[in-house]
Amino acid sequence: MAPGVDLLVQFFPSFAKIVLAATGLAIIFGIMGVINLAHGEFIMVGAYATTLAYNGALGALPLVPVDPIGVLPGAVQLPAAMLTGVLVTALFGLVVERTVISGAVPNWIAERTIGRPVVKPMYDRLLDSMVATWGISLIMVQLVRNLYGNSLNGIGIPFGQFSYGNGLSISTYKLVLAGVAALVLLLLYVVFVRTDYGMRARATIQNEGMAKSLGVDTERTYMATFALGSGLAGLTGALYAPLQTIVPGMGGGFLVEAFVAVVVGGASVVVGTLLAGGLLGFVYALFANVWGTFAGRIMLLVVAILVIRFVPQGLSSLVERIRDRWAEVS
Amino acid sequence: MSDTADGMDPAVKQTSAELATGVDTDTILKTEGITKRFGGLTAIDDVDFDVEAGELRCLIGPNGAGKSTLLNLITGALSPSEGEVYFRGHDITEMDPHERIRRGLSIKFQVPSVYEDLTVRENVRLPIQRLASGAERDERMADALAAAGLSAKADVAASALSHGEQQQLEIGMAASLDPDLLLLDEPVAGLSVDERAEIAERITQLNEERSIAFVVIEHDTDFVAEIADHVTVLHQGETFREGSIEEIETDPEVQRIYLGGETDA
Amino acid sequence: MATDADSAGVLGRFVDAIHGPNTMGESRRFWAAFGVVALLMVTFPLYMLESAVTNMSQYLALTLLALSLAVVWGFTGVLSFGQVAFFAVAGYTYGIVGINVAGPLGTMAGLFVAVGVAALFAAVLGYFMFYGGVSDVYVTIMTLVVVLVLKTFLDQTAGDKWTIGEAALGGFNGMPGIPDLALGIGEPFLVFDDFTLFYAALLALLVTYLGLRALLNSDYGRVMVAIREDEDRTEMLGYDVKRVKLTVFTFGGALAGLSGVLYVTYFNYISPSELSLTAASLPVIWVAVGGRKTLLGPIVATVAIERLGLFLSVNVGDWAFVINGLLLLVIVLLLPEGLVPGLRDLVSWIGDRRDEGGTDDTTEPSGEVIE
Repeated sequence: MAPGVDLLVQFFPSFAKIVLAATGLAIIFGIMGVINLAHGEFIMVGAYATTLAYNGALGALPLVPVDPIGVLPGAVQLPAAMLTGVLVTALFGLVVERTVISGAVPNWIAERTIGRPVVKPMYDRLLDSMVATWGISLIMVQLVRNLYGNSLNGIGIPFGQFSYGNGLSISTYKLVLAGVAALVLLLLYVVFVRTDYGMRARATIQNEGMAKSLGVDTERTYMATFALGSGLAGLTGALYAPLQTIVPGMGGGFLVEAFVAVVVGGASVVVGTLLAGGLLGFVYALFANVWGTFAGRIMLLVVAILVIRFVPQGLSSLVERIRDRWAEVS
Repeated sequence: MSDTADGMDPAVKQTSAELATGVDTDTILKTEGITKRFGGLTAIDDVDFDVEAGELRCLIGPNGAGKSTLLNLITGALSPSEGEVYFRGHDITEMDPHERIRRGLSIKFQVPSVYEDLTVRENVRLPIQRLASGAERDERMADALAAAGLSAKADVAASALSHGEQQQLEIGMAASLDPDLLLLDEPVAGLSVDERAEIAERITQLNEERSIAFVVIEHDTDFVAEIADHVTVLHQGETFREGSIEEIETDPEVQRIYLGGETDA
Repeated sequence: MATDADSAGVLGRFVDAIHGPNTMGESRRFWAAFGVVALLMVTFPLYMLESAVTNMSQYLALTLLALSLAVVWGFTGVLSFGQVAFFAVAGYTYGIVGINVAGPLGTMAGLFVAVGVAALFAAVLGYFMFYGGVSDVYVTIMTLVVVLVLKTFLDQTAGDKWTIGEAALGGFNGMPGIPDLALGIGEPFLVFDDFTLFYAALLALLVTYLGLRALLNSDYGRVMVAIREDEDRTEMLGYDVKRVKLTVFTFGGALAGLSGVLYVTYFNYISPSELSLTAASLPVIWVAVGGRKTLLGPIVATVAIERLGLFLSVNVGDWAFVINGLLLLVIVLLLPEGLVPGLRDLVSWIGDRRDEGGTDDTTEPSGEVIE
């Protein structure tokens, strides 16, 4: 009985990490055809912004008379700091989108100086977007290191410990994150299905040309999408800030999982990320439980390779196929 | 029912395999019950499509009828959900596209697919370099350029050609493989009347002088009337009618499917 | 000028073979400049400090890694993050053989086995991907994941359990004590360290460069480029695209492996850090910045970026990565074809401006031909 419980308890944090790491990347990749190799660094920005805000940095900004986080009641301080983290990252994402991804700002400048645009947008330029965002990631890591040193003072883990099995325990917070991950997916689903933005985004994924001719402002949709994806990355960083050492290179620990999950998940952001989180999270937990974290990581990657090879459209395409099979039969 | 060797056109190649499968040796292409499903959508439904050696067949039908899909099934770009494809009597259903091409099939895509960043000469070289070398290669390249009317533009980037010239180039590339069957997907879309006449002449010439069989997808009925021996009408993934252009043109059911009404067929 | 008709024939054929639309530089001016640079490189040890020479031999070894990616990505359209995997596998294999088999024979055997193993690994991975229908960006991702699997595996190989003969894999800390490549039987008569290594790397680069020029301008090279431009069209012209990609990928693995052996000879040490995300992306950076559809671009960019990196880390310390990143960004945004083609375009634009009077109706193809 105990091993099973142990596995289950290990599964939740594993699932949470993968899902939370992947959603931001999945949205940007799925809707815009852009691969953001700086995704890990966006998560890092979220973590840094959260930690700095929690430790009073907002109050140190010019024109800000008093630290807004500090005046809040204790229990709300961390969520407020996290919200700050999300907003900062979303804003940062917007800046990146305007300058690098769509090239709008450089082109605006170029139009007025040499009379023609100089930058082609990165949409659907998978390989070029990889190279460009890799450059951004290098810059970000080093800039943060130069500005804030090698590490920041962290935030304590809320909620205490959860005991289970034979005297084992785990931070309750880690289990809570699994719930948060599921909630995020649910919210995304609602956004995609119920909101105006969601419809535009889905139309653009399906057929950009068609969407444009139907009057969808694809540029605005892309901008919103990148901001959303960045915000989600920021959320991940914010949520994991209490659990990790805040160092400039911390993004690397998320990027691989995110990447792999997006590919394993496939085209559908919500269903794909859910299934990928489930499968990969389970594989990791299973092997890490018995043979340690290295084995868990290796097997996670090996399973990813197998999925890429044998289900190239990702797990969400399997769901599609099953649904189609039902449709055929009925 | 199989044909015997007597009374056959000696120019048509014949193998024991062909006799064994009972396939009419005049038939260069044959699909049997070919079906293609994309999830819940059946794009091609149980189609038996035969083409004779040297025949010039046009494939017409309303948009979405599945014409391009059928060509893709023939070339192997798509795998069928059910059914087989036979080429010159051999079952090619499991073969990779390049194997089919090497057996005498060739295709010009619907969307112009010349190599935009390569020169015209480099474009023309690609199909030919596999089949000939040295002086023969140079000669064949020169012929291909001339036949496409592009000798003067040989060192220009293919992206700089007009749409009509690109079509000519691509047809030329497909033809220079010396195929037995050439599939053309909308060769005259977007071309002027004069350009269409040029292409029609080219196709007829290739058909008559080199005995290349053709399957041409087109919408322009005048164009079809000018070149076609026979016409197949495809509708909602099924073969709807077959016959001469006169028969098809005057068939009220065919007119109805183009206008979008329901038919009894 | 050759008076012997035969050698004129052979030389003539060679000259023809290395010229064509897929590589830059056909004119006398180009080859003259090439000759000057070659001469400067050959005499490099005469006028540079020993430390500069040994650094340069390291960079030269790395250019082979860059070229392996250029061939696979720039000329066949397969973006692989996995070249470092073949590089590292060869490095480790050479180390294992070299440590276990004493003397120069051991190192020579190590060289061949290492390159062979790298090529085999590439062939297996390539088969798995290309014949399994994995396409485009998924190939890229898969190669990246393979690198990470390898790194994760090697990271945990610390301890006595992970020893092959006398060679301990060493986990995070890597495998030290790898012998220099040497020629000889029993007693080495030529050891590749310092100057000898420099010349060996330079020779390897020269031979590889000329060989690749010949390959890329051959019929086969044209098929590679056609696959890069439009895979489906090329399949429909009767070419076995899967087989070409597999062959090119395997060759790229072997070349990356050779680079690995030369590199390991320089450091006498290898560790899993050669498989980090940063390391895996370096070849991509070199090739993207230099110009992925050229051979000279990656060569120049590798040396320049590595040398710049050294300069920056010595003088500017922490800002080196920022500058590297900015460089990458600027190049990809403004000069997506890379530095060298950008420069070449600039040169011909200046040339056009000078010949302002003459009109020329034919459009210059945007391919690789200069003149």
